[in-house]
Amino acid sequence: MTLDEKLKILADSAKYDASCSSSGSTRKNYNGIGNAAYSGICHSFSSDGRCISLLKILMTNCCIFDCKYCINRKSNNVTRAIFTPEEICTITINFYRRNYIEGLFLSSGIIKSPDYTMELLIKTIKMLRYKYHFHGYIHCKAIPGASTHLLKELGSLVDRLSANIELPTDSGLKLLAPDKELNKVTKIMSYIKENRNSSFVSAGGSTQMIIGATKETDLDIMRTSSNLYQNYNLKRVFYSAYIPVNKDKLLPSLSAPPLVRENRLYQADWLLRFYGFKVKDLLDEEHPNFNILMDPKANWALRHLSEFPKEINSASYYDLLKVPGIGIKSAERIIACRKNFKLTFSDLKKIGVVIKRAKYFITCNHKYFINESYFKKDFIEANLVLLDSPQIETKKEQLSLFS
Amino acid sequence: MKTNQIYLYDGSFTSLLDLTSKLIEMKIKPLNICSEHNFTPTLTDEGIKLELNHSFNPQNLKVTNNILKTIYYVYLSEAEYKELIIYYFLLNALKYQNKIFSMRNLKCVDKTLKIAKYVSNENHKLKGFLRFKEINNHILYGEINPTNNILELLSNHFKNRLKNEFWIIKDIGRDMYSIYDKKKYYIISGTNINLKEINIDDKELKIEKLWISFFKTIGITSRKNKRCQMNFMPKKYWKYIIEMEDVYEKSSNE
Repeated sequence: MTLDEKLKILADSAKYDASCSSSGSTRKNYNGIGNAAYSGICHSFSSDGRCISLLKILMTNCCIFDCKYCINRKSNNVTRAIFTPEEICTITINFYRRNYIEGLFLSSGIIKSPDYTMELLIKTIKMLRYKYHFHGYIHCKAIPGASTHLLKELGSLVDRLSANIELPTDSGLKLLAPDKELNKVTKIMSYIKENRNSSFVSAGGSTQMIIGATKETDLDIMRTSSNLYQNYNLKRVFYSAYIPVNKDKLLPSLSAPPLVRENRLYQADWLLRFYGFKVKDLLDEEHPNFNILMDPKANWALRHLSEFPKEINSASYYDLLKVPGIGIKSAERIIACRKNFKLTFSDLKKIGVVIKRAKYFITCNHKYFINESYFKKDFIEANLVLLDSPQIETKKEQLSLFS
Repeated sequence: MKTNQIYLYDGSFTSLLDLTSKLIEMKIKPLNICSEHNFTPTLTDEGIKLELNHSFNPQNLKVTNNILKTIYYVYLSEAEYKELIIYYFLLNALKYQNKIFSMRNLKCVDKTLKIAKYVSNENHKLKGFLRFKEINNHILYGEINPTNNILELLSNHFKNRLKNEFWIIKDIGRDMYSIYDKKKYYIISGTNINLKEINIDDKELKIEKLWISFFKTIGITSRKNKRCQMNFMPKKYWKYIIEMEDVYEKSSNE
């Protein structure tokens, strides 16, 4: 098998992992090659519009597990390949020197045993760090069930270590990934949380779950995420719209991946982490799923219209953040600017507020953008849905075109 | 009769700051400030050169580093009237210091911050989009064609990242080169350099092919979204991004 063929197989098997971020590390170049950029750098964008920052590959797609949703499951008849540590190092260094990539994202199927697989991963990354003096970004998958001393060694070599929770609930995991155990994944997360420092997984841990392969509601999913963030200080939870790659009676038959739903979950994830929202603010037993037609924040605002309109020149930081169309940056700028002068609608535009969304929920110097009799739920809702509909339409079109 | 007095500087950042601070000191409100290389006298426009201090050091200006950096970014842009924008920004910055950054109701502040952001964004994008090729003697050679003059900013990034390599970055549009010798980089005009013999061997083409295979494989067909790809990676950069070259050629033949 040529190197080119191997790369195709092992990149193809890795592509369903959502994470490609290269941020959060300040690793320096100690007389070798490479350094990390704290903000992360995207080097290219693939045909699906996702950022390519890292060389995302599996060490091998051979696997002793038989997870129903996974293309590499034991019972699938696919071509198997394995990279040697030397091959991974050569490709990484060659790509990095030419500035194609920001670093390496190495994951793997499980061969022989979790410990054996981890040892191979460690051997590869050690070679990259010590023989090739590579100081760029490395994200590695930890293998659930591997020994603690191996976790310790791998963690001290990489910038980010992750373990995928795969499905939002334990029952989903038991159904579709009977070989995987939730507590083995959370054990890795706890270990990272307890030991994280500037030379151990400095960019933190992350995880990923598949959306739409099992019957969980958005409420189940957001509760799981919220617990993960709270209990394990994860940097990111990634959501991956389920893409049917296998046929199995336990799997749903979807005509297309639920991309709009995935997008809503990411929006809500941001609200939890940076905007001071709680899961119970966004969803409850009566409304267990997000509104597909409207983003979660606008949806929340419409259900709590009595808290609006907010006066831009006096509302608190967290109140400003609750306004659709105002993000972290614009809220900070509003606070800084209004110390110097009273803000008007045109100032807000300069600051970067998305006026076409925000205008329905704010007043500037106690003035609404039009006659205040328009401050009504029906009027606002109709306008916001109209704003979003072209975007949702393109997503639906794509689905019908390419599925 | 010539009525418009245009103040001239030699094109360098130091000279621009020197001139600007002198004008502020003398309480002159200029109609325009212009690099002498871009200035052509007309019936109405008259160029004026002030006596400038050759040992002027921008660090001696009584403003914070943050302000100085912002002004430098605007200087690197191709914005119309950028010198005049810098003049008014500096005039206010001397008075308000860092408070200036939250005074976006002033037109000059709003413009300055927008331009500086544009330059810094383009620099960030090209940190990712620049592609090197290994040419003769293991030298890494990359071409860019940015809107703003970010060669120096990019060089600062690569002198840390690829400190043990020889590399050359060429700004096609400005015909400027940045040449790094494992210690320092030198920014040189294309007229002073002869780079005719660029050889790319089979080994290099193989690595490019390997990268293009990876690039094509990593996209998920059922999530295809060309518009999203183009939003993040604007067409104007495609010509110099090897994995986009064939798409670029196809689209320019249409």
